[in-house]
Amino acid sequence: MIRLRGVKKCFRDGAREVPVLRGVDLDVAPGELVAIVGPSGSGKSTLLHVAGALDRDFEGEAVVAGTSLAGLGEAARAELRNRAIGFVFQAFNLLPTLSALENVMLPGVLRRAGPGGGIGEVRARARDALQRVGLGDRGGAPPARLSGGERQRVALARALLSRPAVLLADEPTGNLDASSGADVIRLFVELARDGVSVLVVTHEERVSDAATRVLHLLDGRLA
Amino acid sequence: MAGARGILWLAGAALRADRRGAAVNAAAACVGAAALVLFLALGLGVGAAARRLFPADARLVEVVPARVSLGGVLGGGRLDDDAVGRLRALPGAAAAWPRLPLGVPVSASEPAGGLGGRWPSGLALQLPIVGVDPALVEEDVAPGAFADPPPGAPIPTVLARRLVEVYDRTLAPAWNLRRLPPGVSLVGVELPVRVGHSVVAGASEARVEPERLRLAGLSDRVPLYAVAVPLETVRRLHREYGKGDAAYGQVTVLAARPEDVPALAAAARRMGFAVDEGERATAERVALIVKVTTGALVLLAVAMCALAALAIAQALSASVRGRVRELAVLQALGAAPADVRRIVLAEGAAIGLAGGLAGALVARGLAALGDAAAARLLADLPFRPESFFLFPPWLLALGVAVPALAAIAGALGPAAAAARVDPARTLS
Repeated sequence: MIRLRGVKKCFRDGAREVPVLRGVDLDVAPGELVAIVGPSGSGKSTLLHVAGALDRDFEGEAVVAGTSLAGLGEAARAELRNRAIGFVFQAFNLLPTLSALENVMLPGVLRRAGPGGGIGEVRARARDALQRVGLGDRGGAPPARLSGGERQRVALARALLSRPAVLLADEPTGNLDASSGADVIRLFVELARDGVSVLVVTHEERVSDAATRVLHLLDGRLA
Repeated sequence: MAGARGILWLAGAALRADRRGAAVNAAAACVGAAALVLFLALGLGVGAAARRLFPADARLVEVVPARVSLGGVLGGGRLDDDAVGRLRALPGAAAAWPRLPLGVPVSASEPAGGLGGRWPSGLALQLPIVGVDPALVEEDVAPGAFADPPPGAPIPTVLARRLVEVYDRTLAPAWNLRRLPPGVSLVGVELPVRVGHSVVAGASEARVEPERLRLAGLSDRVPLYAVAVPLETVRRLHREYGKGDAAYGQVTVLAARPEDVPALAAAARRMGFAVDEGERATAERVALIVKVTTGALVLLAVAMCALAALAIAQALSASVRGRVRELAVLQALGAAPADVRRIVLAEGAAIGLAGGLAGALVARGLAALGDAAAARLLADLPFRPESFFLFPPWLLALGVAVPALAAIAGALGPAAAAARVDPARTLS
């Protein structure tokens, strides 16, 4: 689950402080697919980074997957991202020098080795994750040889490797054609049905149409 | 925090992604490591050869009569038993062994038994003989094998180990004689001699007796160009040939510790004697030259390693700048800044280790080539070593460790820069 209370965030522009989030309250329960829409520059991505424990410089209260982000150190935030949060980006952000399978393995490789945490086990789980997004036979391909839709599904498989409680997606269908976008949206709906809290930032109606709730971010506030 | 296996997996993936860059950097580290290992191996090899040529014992002080002496006025001058006793009693002296040159001529006119070869017809060699205290060579001969023999028995002798080398590389090839095997296999060889006979006309004694010299051992403590026999044998021959009671030619004082040598030498000089530092000084000069030359070459090699570290630093900095987005993605997926730092450091370490290993192998190969060239181009002179290079295991470990540490040092800056990547800002 995600719980934000009174979240404020400013960016510094020279000597001037520019407020981006002006007291955001948000709850995303397990099994919910919440879409946040809003114009460019409205702070949608910033909100996602706060909820994803990537941005620590904000005011307010944030609890993600049962963990309060207040006062959390770098290592603990990294551990939380690795264990409980999955990210999907508009630009896919796959590492171009790794194969699709190796990209999916990354969260597992970054986790301190424990029971079932060896490279071999991580590879097996990555194959399962690729299978789940329908790319079981494309694991050896580098991202450059995949279509946009396939790349986004690889990114989704990577986000799912650690079985996260929270999935955060930033314009996930922005670079996809209608068919590929529909595939990705269908996967989001399935994940929400499985109990994952899915928060999607988008300006596309096809995503908001699939969401259980749609919130508008305007002037740094949710409505 | 990611585990070590994960860090290595990610570092390996990054290096595979830029194989050419990694290979160039490893080559730079390889050159530094090869130079370091090769120069140090050369210094060790040449140093070992010099020690074989000048086997100076760091604890020995060679006391000789002073050229100018006030004699008994200051208690110096003559090296007799009393002087030996006083030298032995000096603070820091563990022992004092006198040497007494034989005043009776001894010559050899046929080869040692069992060695064969073609002895030049009519050739007679005058043998310089010196009597030494058996305790001086007790570590080099069998117990009891170096003592004045009963009548009819061969006289035990000890030769300088280096003399065998000189014989093998000069006399044997020149006279077409068999080369001597190294080590104790020579012990027991007997040389027929004539005691009292001199190759110098009119210098022979009235009485010439056939004797046999029997090799009891080889030692670095006896003079290079003399045959050492027991001190008591020389005294006996002096008595038998009426040569009187000659003074000792030299006394070897053994210091308890090498640090005691300067004080002992000073004390001997105060007693009115001189200290023969010829061979020791040569040995020290050679050792110093080898050390200084090796040190300069090692400094050059270390500078090359430092340059390799700079090249690696520059390359990793460029790599980090080009991978900012990838590093941010890794952080989004659960890498802590410390993990990112360790990934870049592991990349540097891997480059340095690979370069170091390759450098150590290259150094071995170059040393083999150098030895082969020396064997072909240099004359077979005495004391020419089989190899001019020594590769103890610690040297190979050092050759790998230094470039690896240099590479890690070079990676520190880029690693810190990588750890400062702000994922929120980069991924916006």
